[in-house]
Amino acid sequence: MAETKTPVIQVKDLYKVYRVGDTKVRALNGVEFNIYKGEFCSIVGTSGSGKSTLLNMLAGLEKPTKGQVIIGGEHMESKTENQLVKFRREHIGFIFQSFNLMATMTALENVALPLTFQGVSKEQRLKKAGELLDLVGLKKYKKHRPTQMSGGQQQRVGVARALVVHPEIIFADEPTGNLDSNTSEEVMRLMQKVVEEQHQTLVMVTHDNHLASFADRIFHIKDGKIVQIEDNRANRSGEKAAMPQQGPGTEDRVDA
Amino acid sequence: MRILDLLRMSSGSLLKRKFRTILTVLGVMIGTASIVVMVSLGLGINRAQMEQIERYGGLTTITVREGRNDGYYGGTVNGASVYIAGSSSSDGEVKRLDDEAIRMLQGLQHVKSVYPILTFSAIAKFGAYESDLSIQGMTPEGLEDQNIQIGEGHLPTDSSELEFFYGNKVAADFYNPKTYDYPYYSTGKYVVDLSKDTLFIIFDQSAYWSSQNDGTVQPPRKYIVPTAGVEKANEENEWSSNGYTVFCNLDALKTTLQRIFRNKVIPGQPTTAGGKPYKEIYYNRASVVVDDVENVVEVQEFINSLGYSADSNIEWIQSTKEQMANIQALLGGIGAVSLLVAAIGITNTMMMSIYERTKEIGVMKVLGCDMRNIQELFLIEAGYIGFIGGLVGLGLSYTISAVINRALAAGGEATVTSYIPPWLAIAALIFAVIIGMVAGFFPSRRAMKLSPLAAIRNE
Ligand SMILES: Nc1ncnc2c1ncn2[C@@H]1O[C@H](COP(=O)(O)OP(=O)(O)OP(=O)(O)O)[C@@H](O)[C@H]1O
Ligand SMILES: [Mg+2]
Repeated sequence: MAETKTPVIQVKDLYKVYRVGDTKVRALNGVEFNIYKGEFCSIVGTSGSGKSTLLNMLAGLEKPTKGQVIIGGEHMESKTENQLVKFRREHIGFIFQSFNLMATMTALENVALPLTFQGVSKEQRLKKAGELLDLVGLKKYKKHRPTQMSGGQQQRVGVARALVVHPEIIFADEPTGNLDSNTSEEVMRLMQKVVEEQHQTLVMVTHDNHLASFADRIFHIKDGKIVQIEDNRANRSGEKAAMPQQGPGTEDRVDA
Repeated sequence: MRILDLLRMSSGSLLKRKFRTILTVLGVMIGTASIVVMVSLGLGINRAQMEQIERYGGLTTITVREGRNDGYYGGTVNGASVYIAGSSSSDGEVKRLDDEAIRMLQGLQHVKSVYPILTFSAIAKFGAYESDLSIQGMTPEGLEDQNIQIGEGHLPTDSSELEFFYGNKVAADFYNPKTYDYPYYSTGKYVVDLSKDTLFIIFDQSAYWSSQNDGTVQPPRKYIVPTAGVEKANEENEWSSNGYTVFCNLDALKTTLQRIFRNKVIPGQPTTAGGKPYKEIYYNRASVVVDDVENVVEVQEFINSLGYSADSNIEWIQSTKEQMANIQALLGGIGAVSLLVAAIGITNTMMMSIYERTKEIGVMKVLGCDMRNIQELFLIEAGYIGFIGGLVGLGLSYTISAVINRALAAGGEATVTSYIPPWLAIAALIFAVIIGMVAGFFPSRRAMKLSPLAAIRNE
């Protein structure tokens, strides 16, 4: 199964220490784990346990105090800020808790934005963005601006935007934190579906155990340490859970 | 990112903050307009001065007159030592302008052409009226170089016969010797039509005056000189340097004078120590045209050192130029200060915009927007403000310039104008864009260095 393959994300001996005045806050205190291609992983823990810190470090938004983050064979901790931006542009999608859509842009333009940064032509990127909005079920909302959409619809746009560049990995920090529980489940199911269909790797942070159970594996974090890694494939939440599993090991797509 | 997308995004975020953009643009507009109008006034004054100098004989013409040689010359011209030792050169000797001197001047380096000029004063009589003519004999080339606007006839280039070409104000100078009344100035009407009427010309003035005072003296002969042409009339109030001059052919004048004053001293010509006339007729002056303004001083100094007296407009031009540079620097400085204020306005606007958009910039960085692209976005935005401000400012400048010119023209001061040449317009526009980008540089770096974590924090 997955363990025999090379992991997409390797975290080794990761520490993050914040200094506030004279006191030290150990936000991450020796974290180690691997994530494999095609997996949907959730990181769950109480508030202040270090979830966001971990995710930011994986996405190269923050530098670790010590340790290594290796994504697709590349060391994130030794990259310059410019290299990190380039790496994110090509390999990483990001879903925000507060959606963070551009207020002046339509849904279509928002989804196309990462492609703009890649230098894709307007015609091509709008076509691609249109396809993704169809995929997340917002066919009729392409011309809508963020203020003309509900929170759930905005987060669907956010999901489409994260998927549009076909990233190897998608990170999501509390993607349903600003949504009610029904809408949250909807968005979770959507993410579950697209990750499966597109064979992508998704790492999601949440403090809600129920939402965490939509994932294939659940990482429990407490006081900056991974205390338990739970394989959840057998009893996943959502409709797909009832279907026979298509493990990542059986995929024919080649790792980056 | 593609350049087109960069431009589109920058202009998009400017349009989003229309009111603030307009205010900032207004600052640049006023700054640009004040610089352009100030410089245009400087240029206008400069141009008016240069035109005036041009009217007083051009920038490359040196006027050479006879001079008293101080008996010494040794100097260098263009690195070569020059020693002048003419047989006629001795202490206190007067250096006169004869054909040989003209040929010598012609041979000097940087000299394009030399026109000898012989002036003579004669009385013209027409009915009860008379006038003092100042006659100027010139070579055909010299005449052509005077830029005379021909009203009727042709220039007196024929050397075989003396013909007169009258300046357009000569007719105004006729007066009644009994009443001392100048009809043109009292009635506004010319008493003589120089292109048709026949004048009697008296060359020997002293004989004429003695005959007037003493009835026993035989009056001198009167001559009829055919008319070659008349200068074109001026626009009202316009001044013509040739207006009161009667032009004629140099050689024709020489032969005529020699015939009339046979064996006598021609008035205005030098005499020997014994009061006898020289065989030759000396020129009163010569115009030396130099190939380039740059060489005027050198040639002028050299001619002076030869013992002649040489004048040009060059000192005047130089002092005028310095004066102009000062005026332009002062006026431009006033404009520059207002543009500096506008630049601070741009920086301020950009900083505010960046604070407001911290989150947006962070999101862009998380989504993989190149740091250089982010800097470029803000630089272009600032450049846009400069460009639009510059463009509108230019429009305003042309309007103000037109208003100033109209006001000055109405005030009768037609020469001093505000003048915006194309290079000034283009330079102002480029300058405004550069100012915008310089003002936007610090904010754009600030934006580039913003942490992407700002986007993640949820507030
Ligand atoms: N920039 C910082 N400076 C100092 N301490 C920080 C900083 N960022 C995080 N911390 C500390 O690190 C610890 C982990 O923070 P983190 O944001 O990762 O928590 P979290 O698990 O995401 O919590 P939540 O569920 O509330 O988002 C906390 O104790 C926090 O106070
Ligand atoms: Mg958090």
